[in-house]
Amino acid sequence: MTQKTLIIGNGRCACETIEALLAGGSEIIVASKEMPPFSFPLTDLQARQIEMLTGAKTFSCRGAAGNFDIIFVKDGEKIYRSVQNIIIAEDATRKANFSLYGLKPGSHVISLSAMMKSISYQTDKSLNFSETKKAVFLTGLREESHPVILEEIMQACFRLQSEFQIRTYMLTKNLKVAGKGLESLYKKTRAAGMTYIKFTETMPEIRQESNGKVVIEFLDEISGERFRLMPDLTVADETILPCEETANLSEIFRLDRDREGFLQSDNVHRISVFTNRKGILAADGSRGIQSPAEQLTDAANAAVYSFGPAADLSENLEDRAVIQRDKCVRCLTCYRVCPYRAIILNARPYVVPEACERCGICAAECPRGAIEIRHLNNADISEQIVKAENAAPGGDKFIPFLVAFSCRRSAAQAAELASQMRHPLPKGLHIIEVPCAGSISHSHLFSALNHADGVLLLTCHEGNCHSESGNLRAQKRAAQRTEILSMTGFEKERILVKTLASNMGKEFVETTSQFEEKIMALGPSKLRN
Amino acid sequence: MTDKNVLIIGGGVAGLSAALELARLGLRVDLVEKSDFPGGHAIQFACKAADKCVKCGACAAEEKLRDAVQHPNIRLLTGAQVENLSKNNGRFSASVQKKPAYIDPQKCTDCGLCFDKCPSGAILRGFSKSHSPFYSLCEEKCLYIKDKSCRVCEAVCPESALRLDKSSESYPCEPDAVIVAAGFTPFSPENKPYGYKIFKNVITNLELERMLRLESRAVRPSDNAEPKKIAFVQCVGSRDAQLGHVWCSKICCGSALRMARVIKTRQPETEITFFYMDVQTFGKDFKVFYESVQKDIRMIRAIPGDIFKTGDEGLRVTFLDPPSHETIEEIFDMVVLSIAITPCNDSKSLAELTGLDIADSGFFDIAESKSGQGIFTAGTAQGPMSIAESIASAGEAAWKTMKYLEVRSEK
Repeated sequence: MTQKTLIIGNGRCACETIEALLAGGSEIIVASKEMPPFSFPLTDLQARQIEMLTGAKTFSCRGAAGNFDIIFVKDGEKIYRSVQNIIIAEDATRKANFSLYGLKPGSHVISLSAMMKSISYQTDKSLNFSETKKAVFLTGLREESHPVILEEIMQACFRLQSEFQIRTYMLTKNLKVAGKGLESLYKKTRAAGMTYIKFTETMPEIRQESNGKVVIEFLDEISGERFRLMPDLTVADETILPCEETANLSEIFRLDRDREGFLQSDNVHRISVFTNRKGILAADGSRGIQSPAEQLTDAANAAVYSFGPAADLSENLEDRAVIQRDKCVRCLTCYRVCPYRAIILNARPYVVPEACERCGICAAECPRGAIEIRHLNNADISEQIVKAENAAPGGDKFIPFLVAFSCRRSAAQAAELASQMRHPLPKGLHIIEVPCAGSISHSHLFSALNHADGVLLLTCHEGNCHSESGNLRAQKRAAQRTEILSMTGFEKERILVKTLASNMGKEFVETTSQFEEKIMALGPSKLRN
Repeated sequence: MTDKNVLIIGGGVAGLSAALELARLGLRVDLVEKSDFPGGHAIQFACKAADKCVKCGACAAEEKLRDAVQHPNIRLLTGAQVENLSKNNGRFSASVQKKPAYIDPQKCTDCGLCFDKCPSGAILRGFSKSHSPFYSLCEEKCLYIKDKSCRVCEAVCPESALRLDKSSESYPCEPDAVIVAAGFTPFSPENKPYGYKIFKNVITNLELERMLRLESRAVRPSDNAEPKKIAFVQCVGSRDAQLGHVWCSKICCGSALRMARVIKTRQPETEITFFYMDVQTFGKDFKVFYESVQKDIRMIRAIPGDIFKTGDEGLRVTFLDPPSHETIEEIFDMVVLSIAITPCNDSKSLAELTGLDIADSGFFDIAESKSGQGIFTAGTAQGPMSIAESIASAGEAAWKTMKYLEVRSEK
């Protein structure tokens, strides 16, 4: 079977991705507002591989990794298609920061995009620079700038200086040269006569006269002298934002978004083009701010990850979550909480094994206990605890028996590192490796508290959970359990939630040893039976 | 899907990531790593989460290494170098020279006795739980290799896992494509007027990363006491036209400020000063991070001129105070130099080996890449990159390799 991939977008990254996938022999559907500007002629063979849905709007998406059923709407008609992978690669949009600098756009005040357009070779020159002798670029004065913006400003200034003999100035706080070739471009523009004025303690005063011209007064922090600039042209920088359609796409595809609204949460597990859903990739302006070089990198990544079988589609799927029909009351809690959107609704909720990441959040949250996951059910965990309790060191001296639920991605690995570094761990410590801290249910906690003197929940750091919120859910459950138990005189200190990373061997030892000390002081737990 | 082989030179984040991608798609990979401990510089980095994850990516390096050592399609050759590379009829022929396997990974139990007993510090310890064996023998320091005068490690090893009279091994391989992911060499700041390697309490950002990973706290190397005042000096060897380093190393602002913050969280009494030229944007959450970090850390827009030692191993730092325009001297307990990412030491020999071009900067020139010839680059061999960027760059190299090998999606 040939893979079929849906590509949403018609920008540079989308075109590169299309070209790459065609070369790889994939079948593709392209949904975009306008026909993508291909840089290559389609061969007959390629034309058979590609279906263009130009002007079609994505309306809905059902299904999960390996099989997405999508409805598009075009000219009032519905179009139904099924694909294995989805790549969202829309261009980001720009918002000119006129208001941040108290400016109104006009013939003397323009945006960076307008400037770039007017000096580009392709378009007709909408601006005439013959009257312009002095141009000022404002960037990163109110909000931090970005290397992508700096690169454009420097390119523009270089051309204005060298081709149009216009004096150029750039006013900024931090010069964002953290991009490929930017420091050398900076040197080049300086040599061409561009002036950079940087502000740390002070800020320039920017005023717009009634004729639309701008007057800028500032204190030069290096010389300590005051200056006034009266440019013919002032160029305001821009903030790069996700395109308008993004919010809609996020809802249709049930994708997490970051603070700025891009379709990729700020989580290291999403590097480079991954989203919270298997089989759906976000590239370029759909995932964040990308430089022109990074657009090509994203296109290649989107191509390589949608190529061939998804990373673990062929994996053993028997250990995924399964909803027990006889227990399920269709409350849809699982559907709401699944971070990977692996649960689909037909007559009843159903877990798509290929899309399930086995985090266990659904099982822990299900109010009916209707979801089973092999090796993670209450019986499995409680059996493990009893076994460990029986094997725990005995004797006259009190050795606290401690159960540490540890996320397999972080704390469980930190524990291994700790023992490799030969750090001594508490004698009565038993580690229960869980796929995600979000799988630690109330019943699991209950079992542990029935047998242990202290229970640890060792989760990933906030913002580092592969399932986004598993760590926070564990925290919440532990707090609830502690509160209920404390009413019976139970010592709150016996339950501890800590965040760790896989490389924190030393911290693992510190956390568990300090916990042991505390439990030692408290003595055996009254809850132990 | 395919029976193609790819040779990857360099087992850092980029090399591991590229190997994993190709292996996932069914290609076989020979991953050649020069050092005994794969994972590159990043495998020594510390987690910098204070209250929340700050997205430094150190854990991603850990994950890539773990996945790569377990992957059946990847043959990881450590302590190894590619000796020669030639191409005939579209296929490369290479030989990989691997240093003797002094420690048998099957027998070694990571007990660490050799590490404890070696009189010359020749047994090195790994950084990650995926380093197996967790110890290695440094030939330069070993007395047996020097003059056959010592065999303590062999004698103490309870598993007889250590054998000093092993010889090096040679592995022939016939790859269809090659990816150079040789990484970077950190700038040596000895020639800067900061007293590095002369004053004990002047360390580099990479050394601080290692310290935080091992000890989880910042301590003064001179007396193991917790420093009360730490200075971070940025751009040491970066953005330095005199050195010909006309580039920003990109990662140091993020690395230094994240470390500063985690130190401030764990050791709240510490006063931290950050000397910088420009603060660079890093990560999606930069705005929020930068705002909050400015409350905890004193930011001074100046690069110190000289550092002198005081009587008690303190460090007197001179800098031009920006608001007053006066030269100020201030004493710190510890100074951290954020050293530049510079081209890999081996880049010249690798260029000769592979025919890749080197740009003026000294990094590999990707514009003039040898795509048509089946040789690609990934990661910081191309220039400064963060961990996230190295992974993305590896994805791109993997794609180019697939395209070159004409691997198609029909299964």
